[in-house]
Amino acid sequence: MARQPTMTGRLPIILVPLLLGVLLGCPDHAWALQSHGPPEGLYVHQMAHIHFVLALGYLLWDIRRSSFTSMGWRYLQVFCLLMIVWNVLAFTGHAMGVVLEPHHISTVQGYFQSRLLGPLTTTKIIFYITKLDHLVAVPALFFLFIGMRSLYRTVIEHAGEEKK
Amino acid sequence: MNGLPLLPTIIIDMAGSMADIIFSFLAMRYALLLTRRQPDNFLWGYLFYFCMALSAFSVSRAAGHLVKQFLFMSDNGDIWADIAPYSGGFNTLLLISVSAVTIFYNKSVQAYESIEQKAAKLKSANLQLEKAAAELKELNMHLEEKVEERTAELSKSEKKFRHLFSNSKDMIFFGDIGKNVLEINESGLEMLGYSPEDAKSLNLYQIFRNEEDIFTYYELLSRDGYIKDFEAEFQKKDGSVIYVLISATAIYDDNGKMIGCEAIAKDLTRVKTMMEQLVSSEKMASVGQMAAGVAHEINTPLGIILGYAQLMKDDFDEDSEAYQNLCVIERQTKASRKIVADLLKFSRQAGSARKDIDLNEILSDVVAVTEHNLNLNHIQVHLDLADHLPRVIGDAEKLRQVFVNLINNAQHAMEEQGGGDLYLGTSYDPGKKQVITRVRDTGHGIPEEVKAKIFDPFFTTKPVGKGTGLGLSVTYGIIQDHGGTIVVESPVRNPDSGEMMQGTEFRILLPRAEDTETVALKEEGGRPETM
Repeated sequence: MARQPTMTGRLPIILVPLLLGVLLGCPDHAWALQSHGPPEGLYVHQMAHIHFVLALGYLLWDIRRSSFTSMGWRYLQVFCLLMIVWNVLAFTGHAMGVVLEPHHISTVQGYFQSRLLGPLTTTKIIFYITKLDHLVAVPALFFLFIGMRSLYRTVIEHAGEEKK
Repeated sequence: MNGLPLLPTIIIDMAGSMADIIFSFLAMRYALLLTRRQPDNFLWGYLFYFCMALSAFSVSRAAGHLVKQFLFMSDNGDIWADIAPYSGGFNTLLLISVSAVTIFYNKSVQAYESIEQKAAKLKSANLQLEKAAAELKELNMHLEEKVEERTAELSKSEKKFRHLFSNSKDMIFFGDIGKNVLEINESGLEMLGYSPEDAKSLNLYQIFRNEEDIFTYYELLSRDGYIKDFEAEFQKKDGSVIYVLISATAIYDDNGKMIGCEAIAKDLTRVKTMMEQLVSSEKMASVGQMAAGVAHEINTPLGIILGYAQLMKDDFDEDSEAYQNLCVIERQTKASRKIVADLLKFSRQAGSARKDIDLNEILSDVVAVTEHNLNLNHIQVHLDLADHLPRVIGDAEKLRQVFVNLINNAQHAMEEQGGGDLYLGTSYDPGKKQVITRVRDTGHGIPEEVKAKIFDPFFTTKPVGKGTGLGLSVTYGIIQDHGGTIVVESPVRNPDSGEMMQGTEFRILLPRAEDTETVALKEEGGRPETM
């Protein structure tokens, strides 16, 4: 038996052509293809960091909620915390990079002799610290590594016990 | 120069980038191993994808950083200016990818937990199955032993009940609703005189003498489910009757419908006979007392009548009518006095002379007197006297009268058929210490309904004028006076073959002389027995 179209079902059929008609009939710059300026890439990147922080925070909360008690999951929690810290550092570093002018860094004596020129302001010090973000990122990934290894070993041990 | 050297940041950046790649790949490797180890585990799959995305991000970022450092070191910073947007864009893209993968953790856990729960249930079910399988295996292993054990128990129980069924001295039988006998024990067959072959086709119509009793029996069973102390008469194979007391229980099927019965029947014939004999004995005792009283009362006037009649005879001529009438009075009075004397003998009121006697001798004397008369009636006498028969204490004259009475009765029983055989014999039962005298004829026998009355005074089946009905009463009285017992059997069972023979046998059982004193001390001697 063929289904009879209802009023609700017919609504998109009516609205979509109507909307298209209005948009095409009333052209304006706001509705045309939008151009992307130079800061947009930075904004997207920063938003991605925020997104990652939120995702990691959610993961951390969820792991704790899941009541997984093995060492592997504890290492993963440490990884999440460190990665959140790294994201904050990276986010801050990117922001400081915008504030800092090119002449604040001297490369006159070669790249290896590059210096952050004084006087040292808070901005410059924060910039300098954020440049050392690998001191957080590397331990974070290390904890991820030992976390995964611990989980694997637990599985192996468990399988061995079951065999016994 | 103020400021901070950037060399440490360059070194850390380059070393850190390489370390990032290494650690992220090592993490991915273990995630991969986990997925290979447990491919069905949803959580390991999630972690693998997470590590893969993170490795991709690490490679992208580290590669960008290293390229940048090398370009700047080689003084080609302007090239980096061209690459930087791509590197940054790629980093951003992978960063978002990692973030996207990260937030799917919750769903992965849910899927994992769901699978784990199902796996736990399956595991539990498996454990139970394994347990059941183990139990089954154990049961299988010991099944034979258990079967043997149960069979032995069952056999023991069956043997016990079979023993009870087979060895019971009472009749036990199982019947179906069609009134067929399904199974009957040996005692039952023996009681009814059937062989084991007959048992296969036996039914209750053959066993019960009265058909109404069968219907009453089944009606009571179906109404109450049981019967207690139901009195009935069973007919034996040879036609003789036994009295039984039945207790039975109904057998039901699964639907509660009666399908048969199981019954125990106790032979009460002997008890019933004994009861009848007891009643008879009491009756005889009371009749004897009455007869003695009457005899005493009548004896005196009879003596006076006889005396006066004899005196009056002297007053008349022998040819006169009056003299003849007085002779009739005298004769009839004497006959009456004989009856009174018999009554006194029956009631044991008459005196007797006891001495040590030989029954063989007495029986021979009686045969000598009666044989001629018996032969005239075509009756063949068979005398079988036991050697070394113990002597008895008694009145020889009275005992002769006993045997004469019995032989007379035998003669009368065989008169109708024109003769027969008369078996006379003596024997000794050492077990009971009794001297037995047998008088058996091959006459018509005693009907069942009169058996209990034959010892009653004045009871006779002979035509009027042929008997007073006191012969057996007197016999009974004399035997009882001697501390003996008189037994009647009619028809007679052949002791050798067990077959029933036509006729009647009287057995006189008297104590031997040595035991007479003991017997005499007993208040009541013996009672007549009818069989």
